[in-house]
Amino acid sequence: MLTCRSLILPWGLLWGACLTGPPLLASEPAAATAEAAEGPIADVAVEAGGATVAEVIDARFGVVVGWMEAVLFWEPVKAVPIPLIVLILLCGSIFFTVYFGFLNIRGFKHAIDITRGRYDNPDDPGEISHFQALTSALSATVGLGNIAGVAVAIQMGGPGAVIWMMLIGLFGMTAKFNECTLAQVYRKVHPDGTVDGGPMHYLEIGLQQKGFPFLVAKLFGLVFAVFCIGGSFGGGNMFQANQATTAIRGMIGDAARLDWLIGGVLAFFVGLVIIGGIRRIGQVTEKIIPLMCGIYVLAGLVILVMHARQIPAAAVLIVQSCVAPEAIFGGFVGVMVQGIKRAVFSNEAGVGSAAIAHAAAKTDEPVREGMVAMLGPFIDTVVICTMTALVVIVSGAYQEPAAGEGVEMTRWAFADTISWFPIILNISVLLFAYSTMISWSYYGEKAWQYLFGSSRRAVIIYRSIFLGFIVLGAISSLENVISFSDLMILSMAFPNVIGGVILAPKVKSLLVDYWTRYRHNEFVTYD
Amino acid sequence: MPLTATTVVVPIDFSAESPRAIAAALEIVARPDGLHLVHVMPPLETMSPGFLVGDITEESRTRKVTEALTKLATETGATAAILVALIGTPGLEISDYSRRQQADLIVIPSHGYHGVKRLFLGSVAERVIRHAACNVLVVRRSDAE
Repeated sequence: MLTCRSLILPWGLLWGACLTGPPLLASEPAAATAEAAEGPIADVAVEAGGATVAEVIDARFGVVVGWMEAVLFWEPVKAVPIPLIVLILLCGSIFFTVYFGFLNIRGFKHAIDITRGRYDNPDDPGEISHFQALTSALSATVGLGNIAGVAVAIQMGGPGAVIWMMLIGLFGMTAKFNECTLAQVYRKVHPDGTVDGGPMHYLEIGLQQKGFPFLVAKLFGLVFAVFCIGGSFGGGNMFQANQATTAIRGMIGDAARLDWLIGGVLAFFVGLVIIGGIRRIGQVTEKIIPLMCGIYVLAGLVILVMHARQIPAAAVLIVQSCVAPEAIFGGFVGVMVQGIKRAVFSNEAGVGSAAIAHAAAKTDEPVREGMVAMLGPFIDTVVICTMTALVVIVSGAYQEPAAGEGVEMTRWAFADTISWFPIILNISVLLFAYSTMISWSYYGEKAWQYLFGSSRRAVIIYRSIFLGFIVLGAISSLENVISFSDLMILSMAFPNVIGGVILAPKVKSLLVDYWTRYRHNEFVTYD
Repeated sequence: MPLTATTVVVPIDFSAESPRAIAAALEIVARPDGLHLVHVMPPLETMSPGFLVGDITEESRTRKVTEALTKLATETGATAAILVALIGTPGLEISDYSRRQQADLIVIPSHGYHGVKRLFLGSVAERVIRHAACNVLVVRRSDAE
């Protein structure tokens, strides 16, 4: 019998061919996204016919990365070299913001009130409160993108990239509102109280309701699910494992031989939650993340206070570098592209991943959860990323050759101010990476279930592969693999933003109705 | 010859077709308490926010499913039926449960999809037919596509 598996086969064959085909010449590193693989990376000790296993795998993935880049980073307007995917994300975010009447500003206070629990009705359908949904989504988005990604943005795009990161963080709030409201509208609440929701579902059902043929709507959902699974193995797993390993090596000394062990221990602890079902560990992690965010921001503030005299100059530098950037950073467009890419990698607005978590919130008002979700990009990008950026700039780390790249640069900035501050950074990296892996395993598994069903065998296969990728991420210097996974996350925005724009009128009508009732004080509060 | 059975298992997915399957089973089963309404839940997602920070547990899921089964049984006049919530792969769990209960018959609704929808949605009914040790009655949807 033919099933949806048949349609996944070409993708699987492509993947398989890349892993098992004849040896390839080492491909060009993915120039456009290689910056994602920041930080010192371990060597792999396993040899396979002259090349390490990691090198062989990396070379295979290089082919796919090349194809994906050709599409994602295709520049439709030659005079303005903005890659297609960046253009979609930028235009999409601006469209949502204007279309919803700058809800990110006018709805900000109401969003905070909802998150505080003012409107929480425990009898509403769903799994978790608004606040828990926000922290769950943040535990996936607050990660290495906030620490390493920001440093990369400044390195590649100069200080001016910070402005673009903040702007896309602000515009991304309404993109996040749109996708999370849709996730609530089209979610399935099962008889056992659990919820299935996210772009796979709203693209499939919503587009059919808009008159699209079943096959087209299903294709949107399928494409998103495939990219989401890829993203969960890569950006949500290998990249995190790799950087967590780097952080541990920073604490215990440069012991590359221990990478297998570190990867194994990381996989073991993730496995305790995702296979062992040890709820306590997951609970503690979910609770520690908001605290860790607070500690990280506090440490950043201390550094800023100690460099208070440099702050005005840094602010001027950021603005100047944005409006009149140096040619070395690719001019105005180059700075903008860097800022947007790193901001989206960090806050995932437009990508659709967080919508899977927000779908689980207890509410019978979809718009309400969308408004809570808006706070995600604000906290992630406008607050935490900006904090990292200011620390890197005022400390002078971005101009210091000895500072290194990515997470190393941020660590240098921390160490330069207070010698023991890198300990805070290392613990943050570890915890952020751990929680991001757990959260992304959930996103990936939801997408996996969409393709292969929710049988016990299907989920165990996914979880086992996920754990395997943790070890792979820890031991390897797989630039192309990491580029591939980053590209997968960006690719999720293709079906999600396009589908989101098509479905935006539905959200608009719900918003108008909700906002009218809100202005007339028609909502029951639970203060 | 009229069809009768002592133990009849009806898999319930709470779709619109479920009441019709219960009605068909009630006509066949010898005694109303020989009817088993069975719902199969997927395995708990141990990394889901609902489990990690919410109040989703195996117990809460079983309780809610039992409540939903009770409501359905009341609405369809099957108040004497045995209500069962299982965890696993629906097709296999239903077949295994029926074997353990030495059921004479499984009455299962079919969504009746054809074409592209059939391709994607698969069929629990087909799997039950393949694995069941007893007879299986498939109740077709009246407006099956």
